[in-house]
Amino acid sequence: MNAIKKFNPDISKLSSKERLLLDKLILAAELMAPLYLKQKNSKYPGANFYPHNATKEEIEEAAKKDPSILDPYTFVERDKSGKLITMPFCVRFKKELKKISEILKQAASLSDDKNFKKYLLLRAESLLNDDYDKSNIQFLKTGNSKFGFLTGPSESYLDKLFHKKRAYDNWVGILDKKRTEEAKKFKEIILSSERKILFGSVKIKPPKIEIRIEKTPIFSGLSADFMFTGSTLPNEIYLIEKYGLILTISEDSLKENFKKDEFPIFKTLFNKNFQKSYSEKELYKASFKCILIHEIAHNLLYYQGAEERLKNIFPIINELYAYILGIECCGTLLLKDVLTSKELESILIMHICRNFTWWQDFLKNPDVKSYTLGMVIIQNFFLEKKAVEIDKKNNFLKVDFSKLYLCISEFCRVLEYYIALGTYKETEEFINNYSQMKTFQKNFSPLLKKISKKLKKE
Amino acid sequence: MEENKKNYLTKEGLKKIKEEYQGLLKLKKIRSEKEAPYFLESDEVNAEALAYEEEFEYLESRIKKIEEVLKNFELLKPLPKKERDKIYLGATVKIELDNEIDEFTIVSTLETDPAQKKISNESPIGKALIGHMVGDKVVVQTELVNHTCRILKIEYK
Repeated sequence: MNAIKKFNPDISKLSSKERLLLDKLILAAELMAPLYLKQKNSKYPGANFYPHNATKEEIEEAAKKDPSILDPYTFVERDKSGKLITMPFCVRFKKELKKISEILKQAASLSDDKNFKKYLLLRAESLLNDDYDKSNIQFLKTGNSKFGFLTGPSESYLDKLFHKKRAYDNWVGILDKKRTEEAKKFKEIILSSERKILFGSVKIKPPKIEIRIEKTPIFSGLSADFMFTGSTLPNEIYLIEKYGLILTISEDSLKENFKKDEFPIFKTLFNKNFQKSYSEKELYKASFKCILIHEIAHNLLYYQGAEERLKNIFPIINELYAYILGIECCGTLLLKDVLTSKELESILIMHICRNFTWWQDFLKNPDVKSYTLGMVIIQNFFLEKKAVEIDKKNNFLKVDFSKLYLCISEFCRVLEYYIALGTYKETEEFINNYSQMKTFQKNFSPLLKKISKKLKKE
Repeated sequence: MEENKKNYLTKEGLKKIKEEYQGLLKLKKIRSEKEAPYFLESDEVNAEALAYEEEFEYLESRIKKIEEVLKNFELLKPLPKKERDKIYLGATVKIELDNEIDEFTIVSTLETDPAQKKISNESPIGKALIGHMVGDKVVVQTELVNHTCRILKIEYK
């Protein structure tokens, strides 16, 4: 299990002062990793955030009297009488966080960027009191900063009981100006049209959406464990509604995921003739676009109350919908000549390959279950609609691109209902119907065997 | 591009294209003089080399396109009022496309800038909309993707 992942981007153009600053940020990231490891525990749906013998009902009951039980920044423990009480993260990890906070202050003294400096100083405070609003708001002013930096409890994927408790996460980035400008244009095109919303739903529109493509020296904590390629921050809807958000994509993580997983899976899933039609270069570009459109599509999905309504199943629907909505938007781009047919085909291929990488990742890391279930749902749907078929004689995947796109459009309508208006019960029923891991494993078994064999060889 | 095919440009578009052309020629000269990044001899995708290659290919193809257009263009004249109820080059259209309301201006290919909502008249949607009126339902078809759109508004600025 990896809580630190280092990459090797080119930092030769940084000044000596900037390199010192970078060293401080990397050190802070390294020191954050053990905190993440103390939160993580794949054996329990609540990880280490709740007592392992506490039931969901017991926790919910306790939370009625003590709301801090479900606060994102607390551990839940038992006192001597067995009653559930809380311990804030900043208290449990006081010694470690004080050290990290000092390093952030040192880093701030090295920064000539006023906004970034202020962000580091505010973040240094947040780590010590678990109040992240001020530093999150300041984070949103660093959209043009040379350095990107996240540290602190971020996403709640480890908490599969309530989707509340945040895991420590950390990345350090250096802005790639050129790729960022290209990505901004792409974002403008995708967001230029107005999507209609379902009657009865209320959508939240961020007032500002910044985008950053970064070179990444280091991930630690959740990002290292899940090997994210993109993120959208902050996570608090009330902050997004008022201040906007920043999407960040890590070039280095993208490149590594493509090289180690997606491209080898492409070569495993498809026969040699099919492979010849799509170069590695085309597929790498498509993989980048998949991530970019996924993160951009998240901005089209903020429905008021969705997270509270769907609770622990929200991440499954939310991530899946962002993936396929992004691809659906590509259809319009094709009509406008922003993409060619070949490019859209490549995006569809990489979407399928990414689905299977999530299954592969799940075998190694059960905590990525939300992503994997989403993938299982869509792959089962593709198979049901005959958008994909398995050549059982030769154990390869066959794809009907126009059916695949149609499937994605149809599925978008379905998911939109659940995320905008669906009740917990009906959404859970839908997920249970389509996310049968056994069905997926049975349907795709010849291909999964090939992928497993390849995994074992590595 | 087809031989003898007239390229229609707006006055503003012509000015921008000429400026772009000069800029691209200068940039090509600078890029040609600079050393290309090392392409790794392995299966590895070198992101920097990829970017360099893409940029150069784009430069050359864009220069060639502009030169072809400048050899054979005609300035777009304002459309007579009685013809402005239909979509032609220069029209700003508002459409309902499945789940979206979209608005853009149809321009010649060289003036295309989707980020500025300028879509080519030769794109699948541009081609499909030409000649239609408000209220019309238009099917936009490609090999992969089919959509039906309804025209909500047509304007000429």
